[in-house]
Amino acid sequence: MTALLTTPMPPAPRQRGPLWFAWRRFRANKAAVVGGIVLGVITLLAILAPLVTKTGPNDQAFLTENLFPPSWDHWFGVDDLGRDFWTRIVYGARVSLTIGFAAATCSVLIGIPLGAIAGYYGGRADWLIMRVIEIFSVVPPLLAAMLLGALTQGGFLTIVVIAALFGWVQVCLLVRAQIKAFKEKEFVRAAQALGASPGYIIRRHLIPNAISPIIVGFVLAIPLAMMLEASLSFLGVGIPPPTPSWGQMINVGMNFMYFYWHMAVFPTAALAITVMATTLFGDGLRDALDPTLKGA
Amino acid sequence: MTGFIIRRLLSISVTFIIVSILIFTMMHAIPGGPFDGGEMPLPPAVREKMMAQFGLDQPVWVQYLKYMSGVIRLDFGVPFQSPGETMFSLLADAWLPSLVLGGLGVLIGAPLGILLGIAAALHRNTWIDYLASAVATIGLTVPVFVTSMLLILIFAVWLNWFPASGWGEPINWVLPITAYATIPMATYARYTRSAMLDTLNKPFVTVLRAKGLTENKIIYGHVLRNSAIPMVTVFLPMFIGTATGSIFVEAMFRVPGLGSYFVSSIRTRDYPLEMALMLMLTVMFCVAYLISDVAYALLNPRIRYGDRKG
Repeated sequence: MTALLTTPMPPAPRQRGPLWFAWRRFRANKAAVVGGIVLGVITLLAILAPLVTKTGPNDQAFLTENLFPPSWDHWFGVDDLGRDFWTRIVYGARVSLTIGFAAATCSVLIGIPLGAIAGYYGGRADWLIMRVIEIFSVVPPLLAAMLLGALTQGGFLTIVVIAALFGWVQVCLLVRAQIKAFKEKEFVRAAQALGASPGYIIRRHLIPNAISPIIVGFVLAIPLAMMLEASLSFLGVGIPPPTPSWGQMINVGMNFMYFYWHMAVFPTAALAITVMATTLFGDGLRDALDPTLKGA
Repeated sequence: MTGFIIRRLLSISVTFIIVSILIFTMMHAIPGGPFDGGEMPLPPAVREKMMAQFGLDQPVWVQYLKYMSGVIRLDFGVPFQSPGETMFSLLADAWLPSLVLGGLGVLIGAPLGILLGIAAALHRNTWIDYLASAVATIGLTVPVFVTSMLLILIFAVWLNWFPASGWGEPINWVLPITAYATIPMATYARYTRSAMLDTLNKPFVTVLRAKGLTENKIIYGHVLRNSAIPMVTVFLPMFIGTATGSIFVEAMFRVPGLGSYFVSSIRTRDYPLEMALMLMLTVMFCVAYLISDVAYALLNPRIRYGDRKG
């Protein structure tokens, strides 16, 4: 059967897959391309952190120069504890991006099965999942996160869990909508008629068809998790101090703002640029992969 | 319609009760208590007596029922940080700054955002469209404490036009209100633009044009009305964003509002104060949720809540 389908048909016009069109749509979106490039550069810097910096992130190697403004030796200056600020910012990218990706992965892992169950079975299961989502939509995420942060004393893993706890809702809703739209289609009916189990249908037919909203939900969950981490660290219930985190650095920088501007400007700009680049990239990806989702 | 509102009201009350239970148990699960005293620990006997006095020695569910039965009678308990006062007198002073700043922020930001969105949709691919997109992206992606920080750096530290912090003089209000306004402005600019564009491409607009209506009549009488639905749906997330943003805005600009109490009440394990603040916000969000649901139904005659919505 497959052999028959793949036998070349000589005069056929060149076939363009949906991915080719998605790529063309994506390339036409300048903001998204720039966002993607910036995100790529930041990710590279974060991965190569030990190579692009001279000292470790916690080395107080420049105590005699502490609070020095940016110079040739210290591109972003030196912080109040004598640490090279460029190093701190680069290692901060590591923390921020790791949390962003880890939380987005967890959100997707929670969101897909729940969304699939709600969308495929409908009825009581759908009702229950929608009520849970309703609870999440009336609880202010940041305040609940603050409580959870205080409850667990902060830390890397906690932040990921908290961000995933509030990030899955979006993925779940996207998957649910997609599966609801597809479950009445003929090929699903055919599979049902052939006796396929619901689990098989969901795995083999419905989730592959929901792949674009899943990718979009994944990419858009990243900046939200990064913002949550920065906000919690800013309030002092996020990543505990020696580990460099942008939110924490902004909090410290606030106290030095009047005389040592570099302490406030660089982490602020780093956070703003990273979150913005990721969002633009995600928006572009959404428009490219699934033009019907626009503005959702 | 009445049936729909009653059903939503019931469902939202159940949600509210679940949320209150979750918050209460979470709050009490945080290690440490209000009278542990970091640097000057109380003698165990005194500590125990104080715990007993505030009923903290009882099981959590008893405390919860006691607290909630008080809440029904509008008694939110006694804040541990100033036991001489009632919750109302403590919060009354803090309400005003938050309400003035947040309220003005939304009142200024939302119309500006809507106007920007309309202008962007009507003049597609011109500078105003790009401006609207830039405002929307920056406002929605940059956390509010970063915006506040940049505002302080530019307008207070470098240009020295406005004071960086404080409360009282209207000139102190300018920067915090601007910081607040970015959230509704960005939200509305983005959604108004996309809703307007959607509507402008509908066939009925072409019919109206063919009938010879003036462009103004088409836009203000028909297109705007039909684009209002998405604007109502974003009201809730916008409202939540602004309310939680208050914590950061007030911390950055040192405004003596409600926001500062959120952080301090969690830190000092001031259970009644924390619970009162959380319940207040949750009620506000529930009401906003309900209002946006009802407004959605009122604005869109195609939606009939005869049976459960999908």
